[in-house]
Amino acid sequence: MSTDHLSATFAALADPTRRAILATLASGECSVTALAAPFAMSLPAVSKHLRVLERAGLIARGREAQWRPCRLEAARLKEVAEWTERFRAIWERHFDSLELYLQTLQKKERTHARKSRRQ
Amino acid sequence: MPASPVANSHTFAASTPSDTEIRMTRLFDAPRRLVFKAMCEPEHIRQWWGNLGEGYSVPVCEVDLRVGGAWKFVNRHPRGAAVFYGVYREIAAPDRVVFTEIYEPFPDAESVVTAVFTEEAGKTRLTATMCYPSRAVRDMVLKTGMEKGAAISYDRLDEVASRLQS
Repeated sequence: MSTDHLSATFAALADPTRRAILATLASGECSVTALAAPFAMSLPAVSKHLRVLERAGLIARGREAQWRPCRLEAARLKEVAEWTERFRAIWERHFDSLELYLQTLQKKERTHARKSRRQ
Repeated sequence: MPASPVANSHTFAASTPSDTEIRMTRLFDAPRRLVFKAMCEPEHIRQWWGNLGEGYSVPVCEVDLRVGGAWKFVNRHPRGAAVFYGVYREIAAPDRVVFTEIYEPFPDAESVVTAVFTEEAGKTRLTATMCYPSRAVRDMVLKTGMEKGAAISYDRLDEVASRLQS
């Protein structure tokens, strides 16, 4: 995935309404009206969110003039999930390493404290 | 993903709070002063940072822990070496430390890292926010992280494979 794609995708995912729309689409395709129903916002406002998601490649829209069903583009979401997983992997490993070291350090301090008390 | 055997692993979270930032947070089972020490003092840093197993070492770990003081870490890993350096901007033990960071291949992409240490039910939460000069640079770092992360995942695969063989 190019960095441009990555930016567009992350920007699209940064908004809670858009994440909620994606969550709804995860259970199947849906019309704009049905997608707008749970939100207290106008159809044009929802359409704007859909355009952002479409540009980011996260959803696709049907060609039928009246009922243009939206559906999830799982491939792009999968790319994001894979990226997050890899980025997590490197940092989790560093932080796990710190956690293990902190345990060693605390054991050492306790041993040291016991020794000093005995003296 | 399988659960890591290391304590508090599940408390790790990464996010992008703005267009130019990456934030990472995690809980540690240790008092705040120790987590701060482990993050800021070279004798401790080289024990954990970049020390991720066989083939990894930290041959250079210089820290001049005062405002305006420089730091430099070199991480040797199975595929070469990575050099990081910067300058401390703010030191408030054990609450907070702010420093600049440059990854040597990209000297123009200086980031400002703010590490905040907070007490949480007897544990310490570390929240590190990296702020980059632009969104383009931030995204480049994300991409680099992805490539590096992939390499590390392969290392992990090797470990698992060799364990299965023995």
